[in-house]
Amino acid sequence: MSEDKMQADDATRVASVVDDRDDEFKWHTGKQLPTGVQDAIEFVDVHKAFGRNKILRGLNMGIPEDKISMILGPSGTGKSVCIKHMVGLLYPDQGDIIVHGKSVPMMHDDELFDMRKKFGVLFQDGALFGSMNLLDNVAFPLRQHTDKGEEEVMEIVNRRLAEVGLTNAGDKMPNELSGGMRKRAGFARALVLDPDIVLFDEPDSGLDPVRTALLCELIQEIHEENGGAYVVITHDIMSARRVAEHISVLWKGRIVESGPAEQLFNSDNAFVRQFLAGDSQGPLGME
Amino acid sequence: MEWLTVPREWLTSAGEIAKFCGKILGQVYSLKVFRFFGETLRQSGILIVSSTIVIWGLVFIIGLQCGTEGAYFSRSVGAPSQAGVFAAWCDLRELVPYAFGYMMAAKVGTGIVAELGSMRISDEIDALEVMGIDSVLFLCATRLLASWLVLPFVYLAAIGAGFFASYLAVVQQVGDVSSGGYFLVFWMFQNPPDLVYSLIKGMVMATVVVLVGCYYGYNASGGPVGVGTATAKSMVLNIVMVHLIGMLGTQVFWGANPRAPIGG
Ligand SMILES: Nc1ncnc2c1ncn2[C@@H]1O[C@H](COP(=O)(O)OP(=O)(O)OP(=O)(O)O)[C@@H](O)[C@H]1O
Ligand SMILES: [Mg+2]
Repeated sequence: MSEDKMQADDATRVASVVDDRDDEFKWHTGKQLPTGVQDAIEFVDVHKAFGRNKILRGLNMGIPEDKISMILGPSGTGKSVCIKHMVGLLYPDQGDIIVHGKSVPMMHDDELFDMRKKFGVLFQDGALFGSMNLLDNVAFPLRQHTDKGEEEVMEIVNRRLAEVGLTNAGDKMPNELSGGMRKRAGFARALVLDPDIVLFDEPDSGLDPVRTALLCELIQEIHEENGGAYVVITHDIMSARRVAEHISVLWKGRIVESGPAEQLFNSDNAFVRQFLAGDSQGPLGME
Repeated sequence: MEWLTVPREWLTSAGEIAKFCGKILGQVYSLKVFRFFGETLRQSGILIVSSTIVIWGLVFIIGLQCGTEGAYFSRSVGAPSQAGVFAAWCDLRELVPYAFGYMMAAKVGTGIVAELGSMRISDEIDALEVMGIDSVLFLCATRLLASWLVLPFVYLAAIGAGFFASYLAVVQQVGDVSSGGYFLVFWMFQNPPDLVYSLIKGMVMATVVVLVGCYYGYNASGGPVGVGTATAKSMVLNIVMVHLIGMLGTQVFWGANPRAPIGG
């Protein structure tokens, strides 16, 4: 390759990078409107790539204590990846995640396992143990981490299953259930230890509208009862309007805007408005 | 250095496997695994119910074969009364360990890969971790301990099945030698250390098969197809390892000294 050509190449590459940045993050004001409370979880300039696929690109995000927070964003932007960073299942390439003042990536294994005990996590696909029936699935955390007797365990489990409408499905195996039922069982399992921090990855996907509404109410009720930082990922704007107290809008690995729910619903950011209104016209296309 | 990439990949993955297996072994030796003794017992039960019969069946069939061939060969060299040598050596030293190793790889090893692999791709392992449970300890170390608890007995019984089959073939089927004559030679050509050596061979094979299965299952990725690929890979590695262990075992235990009343 000739010298000239190489220089030309370099020049265009630099130009395209600059260009890129201008375009890509045009709507990312990164504004974090004040919430008035401390953050339970904090992302500090987090970068994460899978091979060449850059998912998180300088994510700065705060999840306020004692509120129901929602993370909204287009499919495939890395919301689930985000959740996995909070519990130390994935490690950032760069940056830090701080939970209750402690850096998650810096923890030893033992610390990490201890810290995870205050989390309740619902994975996107439920992640029920395929070799156990629903009762055992929901009872599993109780049996592992508490000294409760079998009777007490069963009482708690049955109460939790009743809350999500699975009273009669306790002896079914996960593969005998519908996707929505698995979701609800996973929901019950995530809450069975009354965790301080709760992470729900799309608790409402795969549910009918009525069940979604009921689930939202349930989330609110349980939150009122127990308190704690709840993080809910959803695509459902209706749910967001109903339960969200704090909203973070994630796109292309960064926060577009975050803050108290009412303020975000009235945001003047074009992307946030399009997304929260579910509009086809605006900065977000199919690409 | 293009041609070096493939061996280099092998080396890295060998290193990774060794590290992972070392972790599991460490968890069993440090007795951490007893935190999940209930799960260990459950795995032991599964092993007994699902794998013993096939192992004994295979060993029995091979014992019949070995007996038949031994009987006719010893007849052909004019020493039909020596048929017991075949049962004593061939069964105990080679065929029982191999048959056991093959069945371990085919039934237990692939079973572990498929089970752990599907747990991995459906986020179940992540869910375990998030509940504050060390998933390697809970899933892999318990399986290894379970196999150590159960398999020695399965193996000894398998030797019994092989011997019984050879006896049937030599004495009852071919019938060149009397029962008493058969056993005289049979017992002359083995002694207790041989049994221990054979047991060591089998247990090393079992350990390797379980560890390899755990590695490929636990680290599976790429959806259901990935689990299938991992299962196939583990089977290849396990068969190679079973043969290596068989060969090395024979060399080390009997290579320098056949431990037999031959010659001087
Ligand atoms: N373990 C992994 N290995 C490689 N790539 C991954 C892995 N996990 C996630 N990704 C990639 O990261 C990107 C973001 O995935 P993620 O699951 O976080 O999306 P999401 O925002 O949760 O989307 P959805 O709303 O559809 O669930 C995707 O492009 C995905 O391909
Ligand atoms: Mg997701």
